[in-house]
Amino acid sequence: MRIYKQIKLPLHVRWELYPVKHEPGKKAEYGGSYMEELNWWEKEKKSSLCNEIRYLVPEILFLWGLKKENPRLWYISFPFHLGFYLMIGTLGFLALGALFMVLGFPIAAGQGVLNSSIYYLTILFGFIGLTLGTAGTAALFRRRLKDPALRNYSALSDYLNLVFIFVFFLISLLTGLFHDQGFDGARSYIYSLLTFGGTPAGMAGARTFLGALSIVLGSLLIAYIPLTHMSHMFMKYFMYHAVRWEDTPNIKGSRIEVAVLENLGLKPTWAAPHIGADGKKTWGEIANSGTQEGR
Amino acid sequence: MKATLIRPQDIAKPSKRLARIRPEEVPPLPPPYEDFNSRTLTELKEEKIANVEASLDGTVAIGIPKPKTREEEEKYLRAFLAGLRKLFEKENNWTFLQPLLLSMEYCAKCQTCSEACPVFEMSGRQEIYRPNFRSEVLRRIYRKYIKPFGGISARLAGDIDLNWTTIARLAELAYRCTLCRRCASVCPIGVDNALITHEIRKLFSQEMGIAPREIHDKGTLQHLRVGSTTGMNPMAVKDSMDFIQEEMEEITGYKVEIPWDQEGAEVLLLHNAGEVLAWPENVGAFAIIFQAAGISWTLSSEELGYDVVNYGLWYDDVQMARVAVKHAEIAKKLKVKKIIIGECGHAHKALTVIADRVLTGDLNIPRESALVLLDEIVGSGRLRFDPSQNDFPVTLHDPCNVVRAMGIVEPQRRILRKIAPKFREMTPHGVDNYCCGGGAGFAIMSGYNFAEWRTLVSSRKKFLQILGAFKDEPLNVPKYVCAPCSNCKGSIRDILEYYQARERGHIYYGGLVELIVNAMADMKRPMVKFEENG
Repeated sequence: MRIYKQIKLPLHVRWELYPVKHEPGKKAEYGGSYMEELNWWEKEKKSSLCNEIRYLVPEILFLWGLKKENPRLWYISFPFHLGFYLMIGTLGFLALGALFMVLGFPIAAGQGVLNSSIYYLTILFGFIGLTLGTAGTAALFRRRLKDPALRNYSALSDYLNLVFIFVFFLISLLTGLFHDQGFDGARSYIYSLLTFGGTPAGMAGARTFLGALSIVLGSLLIAYIPLTHMSHMFMKYFMYHAVRWEDTPNIKGSRIEVAVLENLGLKPTWAAPHIGADGKKTWGEIANSGTQEGR
Repeated sequence: MKATLIRPQDIAKPSKRLARIRPEEVPPLPPPYEDFNSRTLTELKEEKIANVEASLDGTVAIGIPKPKTREEEEKYLRAFLAGLRKLFEKENNWTFLQPLLLSMEYCAKCQTCSEACPVFEMSGRQEIYRPNFRSEVLRRIYRKYIKPFGGISARLAGDIDLNWTTIARLAELAYRCTLCRRCASVCPIGVDNALITHEIRKLFSQEMGIAPREIHDKGTLQHLRVGSTTGMNPMAVKDSMDFIQEEMEEITGYKVEIPWDQEGAEVLLLHNAGEVLAWPENVGAFAIIFQAAGISWTLSSEELGYDVVNYGLWYDDVQMARVAVKHAEIAKKLKVKKIIIGECGHAHKALTVIADRVLTGDLNIPRESALVLLDEIVGSGRLRFDPSQNDFPVTLHDPCNVVRAMGIVEPQRRILRKIAPKFREMTPHGVDNYCCGGGAGFAIMSGYNFAEWRTLVSSRKKFLQILGAFKDEPLNVPKYVCAPCSNCKGSIRDILEYYQARERGHIYYGGLVELIVNAMADMKRPMVKFEENG
């Protein structure tokens, strides 16, 4: 819903902020733009996907921006985020493993290179992710509570969000450590989703209360995150591509001009007298109306 | 003793003053300026502020009249909420709806932005100036009073009361940020607190008619009515230009003809009219360079055609659009190939970037920064230069609107590398620069004691940067701060004057074109002159 809402929003005025990382060559580094070129509108606008990727990969994976601007926070925020990334990876391996099992290929140690790799990578990603997630969440909670600059702006929901995530990570970690070292129970759950309720042979015993609780908490978390500011992980795409790096010039006859004309046809209702809006006049008419005194 | 931490909800609690800047908490100035370290903001006289909102921090930017009755107060509150609602409607705010929604909804409150803000740092880390403070106030009001389930939201996500004190202080607080967007540039997520500040200003102006007198009544309204925010009508500007023409010949020995209203010229040069009054040599230097380089150019004597400023950029989208449309209409009438924007940072951004999605069809005439054309002229070899004529230390101020908001970083540097042998950068510079402290209208706002607040707080970081750039130079050597933007130049003038930097450190300021002309080998006499130190 949030993504759909973003896509449906009207074109806004340009509000880019340099450096814009799709600029070619050195411009992406020092913050130059195509507007540095003489008669730029007569030239083809160049864009570098390579520069964009070179920036985005370390930014997404390692939170490079945070490391540069707020290293104290990065040391605890990075493990937290890496924990999430590894959990997404774990989920991917679990789904892959379950699919193999549906197709009749067991996932366990000593079951061929591919099957064993999926098995061990699930464990590796799972335990590292859960450990980092648990520690990172606890550290973020502590920082939010102890640091006056963070505490002063933190509300009950900020703490509850962290508690919720912490409980998920901790319960899942305990489940892994004490009941499900091979993540077989978790894989069995995904198997049952894929087969509409089936249980893989010999796996009935792998299901435990803690395991079930982990799955419930994980599912709730996946449903809850998009409702909160924590979905910035995904909405960052719009922050960057729709605002910060959105530098497309308005060329005559372009799709931008069409959208601008559409916007200029909207009818504002701002009430200050100098605006002169009455709900009937369009933005275009008001912008062309010259001065409106009357304050 | 450190003051108690001010919480966002405290903005609603009436008190004589919410925040106070203490000299001992403010980053100190180095020698020979230490005696300014104990300076404080002049207290406003009670009778002067008795009837206006002045309870934020000891200064006043707007001076909103206090409501006299309960009904009047409620009228203010209703208007505020109506305006806030409109900020989130596409019919009213298509201009910034998407950036606003993203910045309102996805802040992680990590406070990374705070360390980048020169106002926050130079105020001794006053909580109310933290970039996220005013955003958080707006977010809480929005969640509690506009969105569904406001009561629950207030309990979960932070409560705030809405009363006259809240909105009056919030209006004032929107004028304690220079919209430099340094905070946005360091946000790991991309949240833009400066944009939220801009939107607060807009709500007050477009719905309630509340804005500082200097940028609205004497700003955009006068601009659209008379032709210039300076109050100059076409006749007055032509008289001034005749004088500048004569002056240029007297100063440099080079005879220059300033062309007016030349239909079909390639370039329409739009100046900030403030230059004509305060820095006529800047206007004259442009004329010398363009004439010497053989540029086909003209000025316009039509109302608004001689003043490129667009104060609407800072507070009111409608006023911004009206001014931009007028500028484009003038260019269209003169049938020029492009508009060149002189040394005025906010005009660069308003006319080139923001108005790009307002101007359509025949009004969408190409707009270009003068820095780009000057770079081409200087680099082309069309003019002969003797850089030794600029044999003094020069540092460059980067106007935020030209650099961070437009990505014009290198042209001005290429020029300086060619004509100023002792050019040295400030730290940091380019897109990481610090604002002059006069951004978003501050340079022209001087009511009550606001100019003093600007010099003591918002411009302080720039002063420290200037001192840093020249730290290895002897005090008695003349030094030049090159500021290719009128508003920046105005606030740099004010800080150099306030801190007596000319007398104590031989620090002068000016634009870029003056330095170019000063290095031109064909000039009989220098354009840049330093007074005797003393």
